[in-house]
Amino acid sequence: MTAVTSFDAAPPVDPPPARPANGVIFNGVEDVFWRLLTRGAVLLLVTLGVYRFWLQTDVRRFLWNNTEIAGEHLEYIGTARELLLGFLVAIVFLAPLYAIFGLASLATEWVQQLAGLFSLVALAVLGQFAVYRARRYRLSRTVYRGIRFHQTGSAWRYAVCAIFWWGMIGMTLGLAYPWAQASLERFKIRNTWYGDLRGEFAGSGTRLFFRGVLLWFVAVAPFVLSLIVAGAMFDGNLAGEAVKQGTRSGANALDAAGTGPAAAAAILGALWLVIAIAVLYPAFQAMVLRWWISGLRFGELSATSHLRTGTVYGLYWRFVWMSLLLAAVVGVVGFVAVKTVFSTTASAGGQRLPFEVVEISLAIGFYVVTALAYSTIYQATVKLPFWRHGFESVELKNVEVLDRVTAGPATGSPVGEGFADALHVGGI
Amino acid sequence: MLAAGKAFFFDGVTSAKRLVRIELAPDVLVIRDDEHRDVLARWRYDRLDHLVAPSGLLRLGEIGAAVPARLEVRDPALATAIDEASVPVDRSGARERRSRMKVVGWSVGAVAVLVLAAVFGVPALADKIAPLVPLRAELWLGKAVDGQVRKMLDTGGASGPFECGAGAGEGAGRAALVKLVGKLEKAAALSIPLDAKVVRRGEANAVALPGGHIYVYEGLIAKSENADEVAGIIAHEIGHVAHRDGTRALLQSAGLSFLFGMLLGDFVGGSAVVIGARAVLRSSYTREVESAADRYAVDLMSRAGGDQRALAVVLNRIAGAIHPGMDILRDHPDTQARVKLINDLATASAPQPLLEPSEWAALKRICTGR
Repeated sequence: MTAVTSFDAAPPVDPPPARPANGVIFNGVEDVFWRLLTRGAVLLLVTLGVYRFWLQTDVRRFLWNNTEIAGEHLEYIGTARELLLGFLVAIVFLAPLYAIFGLASLATEWVQQLAGLFSLVALAVLGQFAVYRARRYRLSRTVYRGIRFHQTGSAWRYAVCAIFWWGMIGMTLGLAYPWAQASLERFKIRNTWYGDLRGEFAGSGTRLFFRGVLLWFVAVAPFVLSLIVAGAMFDGNLAGEAVKQGTRSGANALDAAGTGPAAAAAILGALWLVIAIAVLYPAFQAMVLRWWISGLRFGELSATSHLRTGTVYGLYWRFVWMSLLLAAVVGVVGFVAVKTVFSTTASAGGQRLPFEVVEISLAIGFYVVTALAYSTIYQATVKLPFWRHGFESVELKNVEVLDRVTAGPATGSPVGEGFADALHVGGI
Repeated sequence: MLAAGKAFFFDGVTSAKRLVRIELAPDVLVIRDDEHRDVLARWRYDRLDHLVAPSGLLRLGEIGAAVPARLEVRDPALATAIDEASVPVDRSGARERRSRMKVVGWSVGAVAVLVLAAVFGVPALADKIAPLVPLRAELWLGKAVDGQVRKMLDTGGASGPFECGAGAGEGAGRAALVKLVGKLEKAAALSIPLDAKVVRRGEANAVALPGGHIYVYEGLIAKSENADEVAGIIAHEIGHVAHRDGTRALLQSAGLSFLFGMLLGDFVGGSAVVIGARAVLRSSYTREVESAADRYAVDLMSRAGGDQRALAVVLNRIAGAIHPGMDILRDHPDTQARVKLINDLATASAPQPLLEPSEWAALKRICTGR
């Protein structure tokens, strides 16, 4: 037998580097991913988005099939046809729901408000339901060493838990996040199976809290403080009077109520929040990902992540400068296009109508191309590196467990992740 | 042709990785344990599933198998031999590319059908359905839309209640309006009772909603120079009511929302396409609708005995004040074209003013009382 040789027209790959048997390697070549995404973006444009099922399947195949765990590759066996079918089925279920909400919006006021509230809650719950079902689909289409993954557990129960925890996060201004995450991940991972091997999540919410609470104090606490200060400066009763008095005499009263300084304090606080989040988000993400991976268990098999925060900053930095480059290109091209169109329109004189169709189509087309370009850059410079570094940071213990797994029941939805797509909550 | 070689096999039942010996029999691929030589599987060549794998690896499965058993071949010579023996195995990727082209072709076709459905199907369907909507349903719909539009229009900035004609000194104007609308309503002989009012809005405009609700803006009364001009505008709006345009517009917008919002769904920038397409399409529907309402207005004015050309006169006056902009997004066709249409349709007649001069003077003051 000769050494490993490439079968494709591509140049032969080097023999794989020597690696510890308990590691995870990602073999994906970034150029190939760029090509896949660019071609996909063009086809998305041509097919007004219908191609997304095929692109998504290609992306997953690329990510899964290039991931090598303890010497063997993951395999994604889902098909675009399943995704398309699932989407159509979801439409059939959602169309009447949307129709009812549409009719309710024409009814009397209290019915409208009730329907509005109900639709908000229903869509939130349905969205989380869809997230869980989509995860089930992806797992059931993941094969490793000839054995499928699968997921058990009620998606409705997950949806209710998720809504509860997101409500808690909102009410505690983010402080409940670690426990919410730990609880939801426990639910998900405990219901994740590789054959007859059940997952377990050992991550502790309290530990994550103590690791991250400093970030919260730097980013969120000043904002909360500024709101409290603003509230103290602002005299609600006086302002209420001012509003009642109407425009002219009210303006002075509003000044007296301390509107100016209060608003300034609140705006400063909000500004701080936005900047702090932008600066600290990569550190936060790295911390959570490290914590999550290190909490994964499959029987005796356990994982530890050595993901470096600097790596995450590096990949975001690359995304930022490529985005800025794109913005510059878009700005120049847009400026030239607008000038050309305007001069053509002006010289055409009276017959304006066809030109306006052209103008609107151009504007929409330009916007869509820009959005697609951003999405492509994001996928290639953020999503892919996250996948790569996330996996490659993993150190596995007791990998020999993987040699003794037996196939579980063949479960999994045959209709893709319809609701997730129809409700726009799809993941990777 | 190579007849045998080594590969790795996962049987789909356990995760154990086995070194196997592959034999290329005439119709089947025989997979034997390398050590014990017992047969682990026999896969027919036409049932081989060629799976996506990293380069340098030929990964095979069996089509229609209950478990995802896998054969992984790294030996290039053996891989070539299997490729030659099996039809489904296609390492050049030509079959995959062909099927992808087919997908793209069908998708483009589907999009074309969707656009055709939006441009021709939705309005045609709305035209067919609108007359079938029972009167009671339209009245109910009208009430609901009326409530919403009122909330939208009534910004509360004006110096009095939203509706004109209730304040001190406004009663005479209201009586004049009732008389004017009554004359037109009698000539129109509609199946829906009309509900026309003047409201405190500065723009020179008027709207008709489902269920016979017509709003004439204060600004329009101010711009008009005689009762027949106001009558012409109201006749145009009655045209919308008679054609059930409000209901039709509602059906059309629901249809477009469904077509573009739900079916196209979620791809980056997709919502921009949806909003843009809806704006362009909706205004192209309304342009024809407006011409039809103009024709109706000329006819109605002639039946009521008023001046058929008054609508054209007042349109011309109002248009002078409007800045030219994105015409396609404006609901009404080019004013010049409308004026020409109205004047072409108008027949020679000796119009009788629809209101007495004193009544017209009262109508002018319907929002001010003075």
